[in-house]
Amino acid sequence: MTVRLARRYGFSASHRLHSPALSDEENRALYGKCNNPHGHGHNYEVEVTVRGQVDEITGRAIDIAALDRLAEEQILAPFRWRNLNAEVSAFQTEVPTTENLAAEVDRRLRAVWDERFGSAGPRLERVSIWETERNICQVSDYA
Amino acid sequence: MIISKKVEFSASHICRSPGLSNEENERIYGAAANPLGHGHNYVVEVAIAGVPDAVTGMILDLKHLKEILEEKILSVYDHRLLNREVPPFDRIVPTVENIAIDIWNRLERHIDATGRAQLYSVKVHETNELFVEYRGEE
Repeated sequence: MTVRLARRYGFSASHRLHSPALSDEENRALYGKCNNPHGHGHNYEVEVTVRGQVDEITGRAIDIAALDRLAEEQILAPFRWRNLNAEVSAFQTEVPTTENLAAEVDRRLRAVWDERFGSAGPRLERVSIWETERNICQVSDYA
Repeated sequence: MIISKKVEFSASHICRSPGLSNEENERIYGAAANPLGHGHNYVVEVAIAGVPDAVTGMILDLKHLKEILEEKILSVYDHRLLNREVPPFDRIVPTVENIAIDIWNRLERHIDATGRAQLYSVKVHETNELFVEYRGEE
């Protein structure tokens, strides 16, 4: 039986939305208060959705403790209490919008997914990020 | 069109498989393997698919859906020890995955029998951080 299992994690970090391809004036106009040169922070929530078969003996679709370890190591430890622009390499070139952050979380999980769970094991289906209660971005393995 | 209804129940469970050793059970399920059991407030979201009626504007009278959920799920699951009191959990481990599948199995034919809608998805939230969705055989 195929089920989707979702697990939620949280981390707090700061960022500044500023694109080097735009002028200071254009950045201010586009990103508004998110362009504040000093940066600002959020309590981010990350939801990881996995699609898998329920094992007949364990009744589980994925080893949740292994998923927690993966999230801790790939996402939470590197992002928690950090300035994303200065301390996460991807955001030295990309603007840390919720969109780019969701794509980066997805890339980081996918990079080691098969090694941890096997290519025939549960699949990473979706990463959703809440920047605030009202700003949510999702990346899926389907269009 | 899809419409969802949310209900809650509170229950206890023990996550332990008789097919595994004591050490394996503790490694796989961690604190949830405690043989004395522990509990959750489960939140269940049931989504049904159908077409709104031209006269009433409703896919299905939600009072009717509520009655089905009360009778087939809440009266069975609420304030129970799942392993002892709710089959099939005398035989299979009441993980949140298996609970979602069992709720689907209990509801599917009753939603079909309304003649107005089909069951689309069952989501079961065990905590704020963990939920499962089952959409039937895929």
